Amino acid sequence: MTFLDYISGVPAYLEREWSDLLELTFEHLLVVLVTIVLATVIALGLGLATYRNQSGARAVLTVTGTFLTVPSFALFGLFIPIFGLGAVPTVVALVLYALLPIARNTITGLRSIDPAVVESAQGMGLSRRQRLLRVELPLAWPIIMTGVRVSTLMIVGIAAIAAIVNGPGLGGPIFQGLSAIGTQRGFNLAFSGTLFVAVLALLLDGVLGMLSKLTTSKGL
Amino acid sequence: MPAHEQETATAASIRLESLTKRYAGQAEPAVDNITMDIPAGEIVVLVGPSGCGKTTSLKMINRIIEPTSGRIFIDGEDVTHVNADQLRRRIGYVIQQIGLFPHMTIAENIGMVPRLLGWNRARISERVDELLDLVGMEPSAYRARYPKELSGGQRQRVGVARAMSADPPLLLMDEPFGAIDPITRERLQNEFLRLQSNIRKTIVFVTHDIDEAIKLGDRIAILTKGSKIAQYDTPEAILTAPANDFVADFIGSGASLKRLSLSRVRDVELNQWAVGRLDDDRAQLRQSLTESDHGSLLLLDEDQRPVRWVTGHDLTRSGESLDRVGLPATATVEPHATLHDALNEMVTSRVGCAIVVDDQRRYQGIVDMRTVMRAIDEMRESSQARDRHAAVQPMEAG
Repeated sequence: MTFLDYISGVPAYLEREWSDLLELTFEHLLVVLVTIVLATVIALGLGLATYRNQSGARAVLTVTGTFLTVPSFALFGLFIPIFGLGAVPTVVALVLYALLPIARNTITGLRSIDPAVVESAQGMGLSRRQRLLRVELPLAWPIIMTGVRVSTLMIVGIAAIAAIVNGPGLGGPIFQGLSAIGTQRGFNLAFSGTLFVAVLALLLDGVLGMLSKLTTSKGL
Repeated sequence: MPAHEQETATAASIRLESLTKRYAGQAEPAVDNITMDIPAGEIVVLVGPSGCGKTTSLKMINRIIEPTSGRIFIDGEDVTHVNADQLRRRIGYVIQQIGLFPHMTIAENIGMVPRLLGWNRARISERVDELLDLVGMEPSAYRARYPKELSGGQRQRVGVARAMSADPPLLLMDEPFGAIDPITRERLQNEFLRLQSNIRKTIVFVTHDIDEAIKLGDRIAILTKGSKIAQYDTPEAILTAPANDFVADFIGSGASLKRLSLSRVRDVELNQWAVGRLDDDRAQLRQSLTESDHGSLLLLDEDQRPVRWVTGHDLTRSGESLDRVGLPATATVEPHATLHDALNEMVTSRVGCAIVVDDQRRYQGIVDMRTVMRAIDEMRESSQARDRHAAVQPMEAG
């Protein structure tokens, strides 16, 4: 059978299974959202705590960068003894992966602000906290949001691998399909799982892009 | 010594007492024990070569840089250890790069400090409009714009408006006109002086440009390394009697020319040259010109605005309409311009004089070489009188 033969079998499969696939997509989306919210909170906190401190910032970037170098298969597996199987180890591992782009862009964004703007804010009598909330964060916001988008795209893909720890989402059909590769059924599963992951990633990126535009000042 | 009386409720006097700043790892202090009284309502310019510590001195007043030792008094109150954020809300601050908040509109930028101080919305927006008017920007056109939509000069104006938003009795300005092209700078300096004649704040102004210091300062402090005061006096006194070689060098050559920056056109007696109206009879114009002792006659339009310079030759040529003959009436100055500005216009004008016009561009009179020479003579006389006075007093060594 050629690739085209396999492909031609897919539409019928999608028509039959679309409601199951949508349900899995929804689970997948949920995992990604929970992960990104947690990762943003943590990475933003780490970035804010260290951006004015050269060695602190370097430590944050090195550690979060190291998480990214661990093969995802291994990281999911390593958490089984601690968190068991299912959603919890999935989210924990994904959060670790998602930290670096957000933390790095938070630090870069806050550091790229014109020092004259910060000095004039200080000279006007804004307290440290007011400077951060009213001036520095709004100015760094578009760059931070870019980090969030990069993390999200990445996490949508990696989340599929969470199926090896029985994680929720579109990884299930993909792994089942790969174990039955060579059959029409295996192809259907793997192909439609991958297709839905890709579509979900594009949709999320579009939504985040819009969100970023809406929450960024027109003056920037 | 009599304490400085506060002239108005809106200006504050400042006293710096043995103010010193040392940075770790540096042998010499950046600011070494500066003591200085700044009277309320005056512009005091700190001027000196780069690295002399003038900016550090300025930034210790609002404690952007915390002093290592010494004390700062504002209106007699020791503010060396009060809450820095609250202190800064009472002090306007303008830096060279302005530092407008790019993500906020012009109105939000100017309204920032009032918002921190808890003013209500209506009062803030009223204040924003008032300040935009004050710095010559139409509120309805600029309120909702963002800093990136403004030119350098406009940003600078907004920076000044923002610094004055909560009506602070004291403004600190660190080379505010330094990054602006010379023509705009000149205009902003003039606007700034006009503004100050209305608001009468205490202003501490840092620059490295002695000409700017002479033009703007009520008093000038010339600083050497470590922010030591070489001379602290009025511009007149510094130009006519530099305290030492450092000051004389710093003023540079052409001190007498610089003194022309201290006299304003409105303070000298203007010359009157022959003038006529565009619609006057030519014979009559010729007669006015012959009766005057000048070679040219200035033609005005129906609103008294200068239009053309004409000579006797132009007036005898018939056929051409009067607004076509002669030379255009350029080289105009306003009464608040300095004699230096007027001289500058004069040497570039082909008629050899500058026309003085009011803010509606209506003719007021003429500044020519004789006017300038008279002013120089007066200055020379007063400085000779001062020298004679100094001769009867014991001289210091050197």
